[in-house]
Amino acid sequence: MNDHVLDDLEAYALGALGQADAQHIAAHLATCGSCRTEAAALAEVVGTLPDAVALREPRATLRERVIAAARADLQPTTAGDPRRRSLGSIRPARVAFAGLIAAVIVLGAIDVDAYRRVSSTTAERNEYSAIVESLRQGARVWYMTGKNDFAGSGGTLFDPRADGKQPFVLFHDLPAIPQGKVLTIWLVSPDSTWARAATFRPNGHDIQWVQITAEIAGFDRCAVTLDDSPWGRHGTIVMESRIAPPTSAP
Amino acid sequence: MSDQQPSDDALLSSLAARDLGALASLYDRYGRLAYSLAYRILGESEGAEDVVQDAFLSAWRGAPGYRRERGNPRAWLLSIVHHRAVDILRRKTTFRPAPLEVAELQPGDEDTALAAERNVEHRTVRAALESLPQAQRRTIELAYFGGYTHVELSELMGVPLGTVKGRMRIGLQKMRRALERSR
Repeated sequence: MNDHVLDDLEAYALGALGQADAQHIAAHLATCGSCRTEAAALAEVVGTLPDAVALREPRATLRERVIAAARADLQPTTAGDPRRRSLGSIRPARVAFAGLIAAVIVLGAIDVDAYRRVSSTTAERNEYSAIVESLRQGARVWYMTGKNDFAGSGGTLFDPRADGKQPFVLFHDLPAIPQGKVLTIWLVSPDSTWARAATFRPNGHDIQWVQITAEIAGFDRCAVTLDDSPWGRHGTIVMESRIAPPTSAP
Repeated sequence: MSDQQPSDDALLSSLAARDLGALASLYDRYGRLAYSLAYRILGESEGAEDVVQDAFLSAWRGAPGYRRERGNPRAWLLSIVHHRAVDILRRKTTFRPAPLEVAELQPGDEDTALAAERNVEHRTVRAALESLPQAQRRTIELAYFGGYTHVELSELMGVPLGTVKGRMRIGLQKMRRALERSR
């Protein structure tokens, strides 16, 4: 069976679908050559539309901002290697704590409350701080903020970048979800293609560690949805990362 | 030969190798167009600049995973700008851009529309768009520049969803033919 999506390809190419519909189309295109060919032809036409706009000159400082943001993004990988520690020697629970602490330290401005909770509930903060530093160096980090029923919860996706080390997400304060529902972690590419990274249910603990087996390269955002099943269209977005992680750009 | 500019593909390969100079070159090539697109969608300069910065940073990070089947580098970069700008627009409730002809009659803020510098590509695409019947053109513009979903357009324009889809389909087909004829 191949349920073609030709009826919606124009809207997809124009970006005129809701997120769930767009994800459905993207999933179909990944497996259907004929629809993919048609979508590529439409994308080519739609790709000319930016040429229809009147040109405007941005401020000269924008160029500096772009370069500064990329330079800041570059620093962790070039500065961290000498002190990078193998995650294989660290017990998962410690990695979990270290990850959470790292997240709130690195992104403390985003989730100060989470940091306060953690720092008041662990006496091993100093010990973990050393591990945190090793995790920070060279790792890419995204913090996802819970919203609506998930307000107050959060999750940090770590991409350790070290050879053989899998990315993982560390969640805190996940609320219970209805029976039969699941949570799905998604990786979102710069052109808004969504890829399923893991499906899980909250375990009831304050902190939950979820391993990701998908390749992180090529993705720059992440989100969590509350779904009826581990496949098919995604449901409500309950957590998502900022459009881009913070940078040192002005 | 030595002063020949690197291709977009070469720049993206350099980006994947973490070459800041390549990023600067890519910005010099497309920064203005990216900003103009973001400005057209958002209608204000600060948000447009944020989108452009974010999009170039995304390209910087996403370059290692870039695949040609997602479009050429220019189209890929501009699609990131478009997605980001529309994402932001959809989170707002107070502003939706007007159709193209109205938007371009509006005075700019601190930026000046550089209409005099329109190139051949610009004129070609404008002509293809302007050749469409108004309903098709308006549907395409409101979808692409206005960030409306086809369901929202159906409600906004007071026509069945199938009509919106039909206008998009026929309009893009006509545009494709017009662009092919001009090349």
